[in-house]
Amino acid sequence: MTFDWSFFWQNLVSPDGAFLDGLWMTITISMVAMAAGLVLGTVVALLYRSRFTAVRTFAKFYIWLIRGTPLIVQLVIIYLGFAAAGIYKFQDTDVLGVAVKGAVQAAIVGLTIHESAYISEVIRAGIASVDRGQTEAAMALGMRPAGTMRWIVLPQALRTMVPPLGNIFNGLMKHTSLLSIIGVSEMFLVAQSISSTTFKTFEIFLVAALYYLLLTTVWTFVQAWIERRLDDQVGITQPAGRKKLNRPAPAEPVTVLKGVNDA
Amino acid sequence: MPETATKEPGTSRGTDVLVRATEVCKSIDGRRILDDVSLDVRRGEVVVLVGPSGAGKTTFLRTINSLETIDSGEILMDGHMVGYRRKADGTLVMDSAATVAKQRQEIGFVFQHFHLFPHMSVMENLWHAPVRVKGVPKAAAVEKAHKLLARVGLSDKADVRPRNLSGGQQQRVAIARALAMSPALMLFDEPTSALDPEMTGEVLAVMKELADDHMTMVVVTHEMGFAREVADRVAVMDAGRVIEQGPPAQVFTQPAHARTAAFLSKVL
Ligand SMILES: Nc1ncnc2c1ncn2[C@@H]1O[C@H](COP(=O)(O)OP(=O)(O)OP(=O)(O)O)[C@@H](O)[C@H]1O
Ligand SMILES: [Mg+2]
Repeated sequence: MTFDWSFFWQNLVSPDGAFLDGLWMTITISMVAMAAGLVLGTVVALLYRSRFTAVRTFAKFYIWLIRGTPLIVQLVIIYLGFAAAGIYKFQDTDVLGVAVKGAVQAAIVGLTIHESAYISEVIRAGIASVDRGQTEAAMALGMRPAGTMRWIVLPQALRTMVPPLGNIFNGLMKHTSLLSIIGVSEMFLVAQSISSTTFKTFEIFLVAALYYLLLTTVWTFVQAWIERRLDDQVGITQPAGRKKLNRPAPAEPVTVLKGVNDA
Repeated sequence: MPETATKEPGTSRGTDVLVRATEVCKSIDGRRILDDVSLDVRRGEVVVLVGPSGAGKTTFLRTINSLETIDSGEILMDGHMVGYRRKADGTLVMDSAATVAKQRQEIGFVFQHFHLFPHMSVMENLWHAPVRVKGVPKAAAVEKAHKLLARVGLSDKADVRPRNLSGGQQQRVAIARALAMSPALMLFDEPTSALDPEMTGEVLAVMKELADDHMTMVVVTHEMGFAREVADRVAVMDAGRVIEQGPPAQVFTQPAHARTAAFLSKVL
């Protein structure tokens, strides 16, 4: 086996501009699609809980359709299929002074739609995990359904939702490699072009693999940090290892109230 | 102390009716859970609802603040129907969520299992609804919350999370949370049933003080001592019906109904 170590190290330690642009593209698309996917996923989850059967059916149909087809097919349909059929063609545009290629827009739309189906299921399960008594207590205080959701249910659901949402984001960062099929110059496509000009296929894809690993590893730490923050703020679950910080106050003598003895 | 001030201290108990339930019926899966339940609660009155398990006490209590639907009959609060309005042809139509929410602001509900909001401090549990629902200025709501905490003997717990409180303390916070909305009526569903015996006293003491301040209360409980001492009236439910009601002394010593006597022989 011939392995060009110097090529490998050079590309790992100081990758060229095109590779860094690809890495940056991967990161940006992942974050934008995740943020948009969270919004769309929340909407779908709320539609799923609607009291109107037609709305619920629509949400179920959406989830069924999106989860039942491969991302790569969805991307090709959205970008190439729609344009070919004259339904919609993504044009290169400027967003706040930054040129955004049509393919990148299509990529973000496709990933957002794809992930929203999974995200909505996580959010739905998170909402269902909150004790029904919480909703009843809020409603008994005169809160409306929207306020109950916003202030009482979602904050508590959030803590249970973070680990599966973290998984989704981890997957999403790797799914961006499929965007090469519609010509988005993210890290995988850049690696591919470097490979075809240098023939250092093993070396360059190994570098790409390590950068994907770096991204998902950094995310693992960020996710753990978010979970700790939520444990402190939301303060519901107490994962092992943090028990000491959250241990309930020791039992204290009961405050004796006036009238306590004759009750 | 006179935080509840739903009426002037001078007005004596039992003048006008605050809650009037008339022939309330409810079936679940074809089974009658509430069977023509009628009950009046006068302003400032404490009505204790007793009866065997499965009698429908919880269900009835929950119909008063629309946590349960009803099939027929009506419940009036201050002369206005709760949960439903009547169309010209006499049929009942459910009120919108917003209308029901508005009605519930007048009615405090204390649950057997407290249901405090675990992601908020005790203090926020108390000011949240007044601020978000009624639009009370935060400073005023916080001040009131401090008064209420003092009243239930938990001033030192303002900043802790509910999970760091004992059951009895949590239930006292839950009572304060309900009072923070300045309700005209307080409903209690077995407020001490989930507590260790040594903690029931502190909760019942708070409720007794509330009664002494002329809060209108409907209390489902198995604490017969509380009923005997605090209730103006005891209503006995059995198999979805109110079978008997009257002053505690009368109901407990000379029950008119054989089922009441049978029930009391088990709990007294
Ligand atoms: N959601 C429901 N579905 C089916 N049956 C129900 C439901 N809620 C209540 N019931 C039934 O209605 C009857 C009355 O219940 P309810 O909880 O009101 O009784 P209770 O008097 O409060 O009893 P307990 O003293 O045990 O609390 C019971 O037979 C119960 O099984
Ligand atoms: Mg009950």
